Amino acid sequence: MTTTIVVAGKGGTGKTSISALLVQVLSKKGVVLAIDADPATNLNQALGVDPGSTVGRIREDMTRDIQAGTLSPSISKPDYLEGQIRAALVESKGFDLLSIGRPEGPGCYCAANNMLRMSVDKLGRGYRYVVIDSEAGMEHISRQTTRDVDVLVIVSDPTQRSIRTAADIKGLIGEMRTRVGQIALVINRSPDGLPPEIARAAEKYGFGSPLTIGQDPNLAGLEIKGRPTTELPADSPLRLGVADLVARLGL
Amino acid sequence: MDFHVDIGPQYEGETIRKDDMYVEFGGPSVKNKFELVTLKSPGEVEHEKVDVIGPDIKDMREGSSQSLAIMVDIAGETLEKDMEPVIERRIHMYANYIEGVYHMNQRNDIWIRLSKESFNKGFNSLVEFGEILIFLFTSELSAIEKIAVTLITDKKKIEELLPQAMKVYQARDERLKGLREEDVDVFYGCILCQSFAPTHCCVITPERTANCGAISWFDGRAAYKLDPEGPIFEVQKGELIDPVKGEYSAVNQEVAARSLGQYDRMYLHSAFEHPHTSCGCFQAVLFYIPEVDGFGIVHRDYQGFTVIGQTFSRIAGATSGGKQIDGACGMALELIRSPKFFQADGGMHRVVWMPQEIKERYKDAIPADLYDKIATEKDVKDVAELGQFLDRVGHPWLKGEVSLP
Ligand SMILES: Nc1ncnc2c1ncn2[C@@H]1O[C@H](COP(=O)(O)OP(=O)(O)OP(=O)(O)O)[C@@H](O)[C@H]1O
Ligand SMILES: [Mg+2]
Repeated sequence: MTTTIVVAGKGGTGKTSISALLVQVLSKKGVVLAIDADPATNLNQALGVDPGSTVGRIREDMTRDIQAGTLSPSISKPDYLEGQIRAALVESKGFDLLSIGRPEGPGCYCAANNMLRMSVDKLGRGYRYVVIDSEAGMEHISRQTTRDVDVLVIVSDPTQRSIRTAADIKGLIGEMRTRVGQIALVINRSPDGLPPEIARAAEKYGFGSPLTIGQDPNLAGLEIKGRPTTELPADSPLRLGVADLVARLGL
Repeated sequence: MDFHVDIGPQYEGETIRKDDMYVEFGGPSVKNKFELVTLKSPGEVEHEKVDVIGPDIKDMREGSSQSLAIMVDIAGETLEKDMEPVIERRIHMYANYIEGVYHMNQRNDIWIRLSKESFNKGFNSLVEFGEILIFLFTSELSAIEKIAVTLITDKKKIEELLPQAMKVYQARDERLKGLREEDVDVFYGCILCQSFAPTHCCVITPERTANCGAISWFDGRAAYKLDPEGPIFEVQKGELIDPVKGEYSAVNQEVAARSLGQYDRMYLHSAFEHPHTSCGCFQAVLFYIPEVDGFGIVHRDYQGFTVIGQTFSRIAGATSGGKQIDGACGMALELIRSPKFFQADGGMHRVVWMPQEIKERYKDAIPADLYDKIATEKDVKDVAELGQFLDRVGHPWLKGEVSLP
């Protein structure tokens, strides 16, 4: 059984940092597939592993080969893609990373994207957990990654604007997915607990009580040195917050 | 048979991560690799013989990537040459049946991993791998009367043999390209583009690749197997109503249902009356030029104006949207190679214009006597010039030399 967790939210709210720590915690319980669905591809840095190739690259190569007519007619594209995606995985201790990469250029990619989505879905079924770090907009992952979501983590900062984005995402993903399990709201970088105005907004938009994570003093230092987020010390607020999240969601 | 590891279909979905692998054979970092099944005469096959040429698993460094060729020789009275690829694909299936063995891809692209766990159980020799393959082949395929397996890990030796294997693969591809609609029981349909063209249903046959060029009949079959509920599905043929136009009773029913009754007949091989519909993402368009009663073809990457003074986008705009449009069809470029390419209308012999780039790329698919008689943007600028050009070169369609089937 695979549990799929999507981390979404407004730009710069902490999706990638939280995804990396989620991957790290969960990889102690079962093997994790981490999917970087942000074209900026920085989850690998947060996890401290190589970037690897991307699904976008595979799609470009295949489309080029189709145009040139150089693909063997007897190797079906779904089979071919499965091997290509395997080869693009960055394999590490307890988790593998797959980067989606750049979105497609002009032209038609319905078929390529559909076959890629099937292949990524199939790949995910071999893992205990799939953690998807999404880009700020949501359209991209809808096309290329798994349809069913068990847990949707929406990250927001303690501002009204960011909470509204969180509500939009909640609505949008509900329309797109065939199934969404739990939805959890995380208010990240909130210096003094949960402000009452933010709590009221969260309630208004139909979120349960949000999990609040404070300002983490250790992150800036890691960023300056270019060290991965996974090196945060054990008592770091962000790390403790993510552990709390995992416990709360019963993962 | 007694083996160190368990065998069965329950291991098929098992994957082996780098963390858990003892060694891997082939894969992205290894050049010398392939698998090949060859049908031989009974005298040439020493039954149940396993040969290992080069170092065996127990001599390999843990965590390393190795070269490997799997050569399976078979003999049997009822076996035929064109079964080789199907039997070869079974290597993938059977290898995945083995506990702790993970096989991917095919031909000269194989990638096989062996788990530490199975290695520690005593599965440390390729001889055992060969014996298991033989055991599975003979117990599952009774037509195989004799079988021998050679496993080569010697890089040099594989490098020597690889070109021969490549020749075999190429020859098979050529044969496959010869697959006809008559040879199969079922076609495939695709409605991936219905978000743009709600009444469009692409019909995919061995002689008609999907308009986007990305889904061949083989891809359709694989995609359907992977996701039977998905946007790619089986289309029955039913009764063959018109072999020339390519009209089938069950195809008509299917497209009627899928287009919500927008149309209820579809000719797979004619651009007139009930032509195939077009989505929005076709690779090229075939368009009728009334002044010369012939067809032009233009592809998506063509930047300039076509002979009728319109760009690709302009023509595509009028063609797309999932409606049947007399004399305009979105198409895959590979369709040019199809023996049934708009056969009811005269096929390639009715084509009078195409971009130079396409003409060169598909030179082998255009009849030699016709090649210089199809105009390109280099020859003519408009329809008036096209008429003169066709007169001058004596295009067979305009001379009335082409008879419709
Ligand atoms: N709790 C926190 N305390 C302090 N800094 C934080 C906290 N959470 C995240 N940050 C910092 O905020 C910045 C943005 O975080 P991150 O890259 O994880 O966000 P994101 O939502 O993935 O951004 P993007 O939308 O650009 O992908 C980073 O510099 C990160 O170190
Ligand atoms: Mg990010």
